[in-house]
Formats: sequence, structure tokens, C-alpha cells
Amino acid sequence: MRQTLIDIALTLLCILLQTTIAQYLAVAGLSPDITLIWIIYLSLRRGQMTGTVAGFFCGLVLDLLSGADGMLGLAALSKTAAGFTAGYFFNENKTLQTLGSYRFILIILLVSVVHNLIYFIIFLQGSGAHWWQAILLYGVPAALYTAAVGLMPAFVFARRALL
Amino acid sequence: MRRVYEFLFLFKEYLVVGVLLAVSVALLALNDDAQIRTIRSLAVVSVGMLQDALGIIPNYFDLRRENHVLRELNVTLADEVNRLREARLENLRLRRLLGLKERGEFVFVAANVIGKNLQLLRNTVTLDAGERNGVRVDMPLVTENGLAGKIVATSGRFAVAQILYNKDIRVSAKIERSRVDGIIRWEGGPALALQDVAKTLDVQTGDVVITSEYSSFFPPGIRIGVVASAKGAEGSLFQSIDVRPAVDFSRLEEVFVITSVRDSERMAVEHKVRE
Repeated sequence: MRQTLIDIALTLLCILLQTTIAQYLAVAGLSPDITLIWIIYLSLRRGQMTGTVAGFFCGLVLDLLSGADGMLGLAALSKTAAGFTAGYFFNENKTLQTLGSYRFILIILLVSVVHNLIYFIIFLQGSGAHWWQAILLYGVPAALYTAAVGLMPAFVFARRALL
Repeated sequence: MRRVYEFLFLFKEYLVVGVLLAVSVALLALNDDAQIRTIRSLAVVSVGMLQDALGIIPNYFDLRRENHVLRELNVTLADEVNRLREARLENLRLRRLLGLKERGEFVFVAANVIGKNLQLLRNTVTLDAGERNGVRVDMPLVTENGLAGKIVATSGRFAVAQILYNKDIRVSAKIERSRVDGIIRWEGGPALALQDVAKTLDVQTGDVVITSEYSSFFPPGIRIGVVASAKGAEGSLFQSIDVRPAVDFSRLEEVFVITSVRDSERMAVEHKVRE
């Protein structure tokens, strides 16, 4: 129970960081998706179900905060799918090994691409813009940036795995 | 029933993700709902206040980009300032030329210096005005600062002029203050020489030298330069006077040819006497 409360608190903290601090890390208009890294972490640490629910919750809150003209439910949908996808890599016996290795970065990269793919396909519906162009121009670079930011927790987990 | 529960438990992840995805899609369909808009507005206001409070944190990447843009802007503006400065100087120069032209004493033909032929002691300039513009041989060449030289050759569209830094040119001159006469010539070096001025005559450093009435080619009263030094030469009856030219020949760009100076009657009488 205590662990659940800590996870909820940290989830809220990540959302707060995403909506406030992440903009200061923007490069060429692209910000790292801190909440996505957190969702992937929860999926790998606590399982697919937790990751999926956390993804929905984070996405919903981000949707609510994205402005009155944003598409409510879009982030919830894409982050739910991201949490669910990341859950496939959950292995209870190798949690720290996964989080502390290059596999964590590869998972972030893969899940980010899936997340951005869903996001842009829905987001650009009816706009006349090509979703694959948006993926190439924004989705993939944003996924790479998020994966790069994911290196930091990966190093932390790598050290903990060694101890 | 138990089997159903077991089945649902076995696929609980899929069940949950299915429900959550369905809720998400439903929310997407309900985007225009008034209540949802209100909730979102409240959420946005809350986060907006927080973001406003954090607005003092600078974005490193944005600052770098802004710095880069400002540097580029700085270079562009510096270039523009240089061009404007040049335009201002040109404007001043042209205004002075215009002022000279508006004196109305002479008829001027404006010309640009399109070539310089600096052959040691016989320096000339080529002008983009010629006989078609009324330019003839022996006509004086002036700038807004004073006398520059004399036309020595012409064609339809071009003319060549000797400048004062030419060993072949002679100009009847006088000291503006004391009315002492002399001949201006150049013998090399940065200064002109005012010659044939007796040691007893009043010439001082800083005196302005102008063209005199005795010249057949140059109208009187045109500034030639300023006396830089005047001293009595040993073993001579005359002074050695250096005159700093009024015209800066290294920056000769726009000039005027005086086309109305020659008094044909006077020229004819003088010519008759010489014969």
C-alpha cells in the first residue's frame, strides 16, 4: 500500500515536471516525455496492468492540462497503449537488470515511437497533413530525445544493480 | 460463473486496456461537452499559474538560439550602420558640391572619376564627362573643397584631367589675406610649392592660397590650399613655401568641370600680344 502511494505521488510529480520543467529542456521545439519514461518504468517494475493504468491516468491529466482546445482523450489513449506495450517487457525476476541496461533505452525508444505513432495518426486526422511526415519530423526525434533523457535513470539503476 | 471470472482474470490486462482505450475514445468523442470544457479550463488555469511562477527559469537551449539570432542581427545591423554612414558621407559630399554649384558664378558639369593614372610625376584622372557634356581642354576641375586640376584631353564621353599633383601643371595663385602673388606647382611630395614669392613679402603659415586673376584658365578666388610652411631659402631672393592642397586627391570621386570660365575676348587680346 505504501509503495502504491509513493508511486502515485511520484506519478503526480512527473506530471508536474512534464507540465512545468520539460519546456525548459526543449530543443528545436521538442521536449522529452518525462511521464512516458515514468510509465515505462512502472510497467517494467510493477507489471503491465500498473503501467497501463498509470498511462491512462497520466494521459488523462495531461489532456486536461493541455488547453481548452486540445483533444481530450488523445494523450490518455496513446499513453495507455504505451504503458500496455511496455508491459510486454516486464520480467519480475530481471527488473533491475532491464532498467539498468541498454534494454531500458531501447524499450523507451520503441514505446515512444508507438506512442507518437498513435498520437500523430489521431491528431492529424482530417487535417490533410501526412502522419508519416509528422512521425519523421517530430515523432522519431522526440522519441530519441526521450530515450536520451532515459539514460539518466538507466545509469542510476545500473549502479544499483551493481551494488 | 467461476469459469468466467477465471477467464477474465487470465486476460485482465487486455480487459483493462480495452476499457481504458474505450474510455479514451469516448473522451475524444466528447471533446465539445461544456462540462469537460469547464474542467479543462480550471486545470489549465491552475497549471498556468504554476508555469507563470516558474517563468523566471531560463531555457538554456532557447537562450543559445536567441543568442545566435541576436549575433546574426548584430552583424546585419552593423553592416547597415556602415552603409548608412557611407551614405551620409556621400550625402554631405554631394550637398557641398550642390552648394558650390548653387553659387551660380560658373557653369559646372558634374563628372565622376572613373580612372586614375598615377605615373609618378604626371598624375591624371579620367572623367565620365566629355565633349558631349561641353567639356573642353584647359577647363578647370574643382571639387567642393577647391581646385583639383585641369582638363588636358577630351573625347565624346570622357575627359582626362591633370591634377595638381602633376609636374606639368602651373597655377597663378595668391595669398588670400595679404594678396601676395605666386605660382603654384608641384615637384613631388605631399605639398605643393608656391613659387616666385619674394622674401620680403608677407606669407604666414595657415594663410589660404587661392587662384589669382592672372590665370588664363582658372577663375579667380578658388581655394587651392593652405600654407603649411614658409621660410626664406638660403642664397635665394625667394621664399620656399609649402602649400597643403585643399583637395584630398586620394579620395577624389565626384568633381565638377567649370565650362564657362574662359573669356574669349581676353584670350584673343592676350594671344594677339604674344604674336
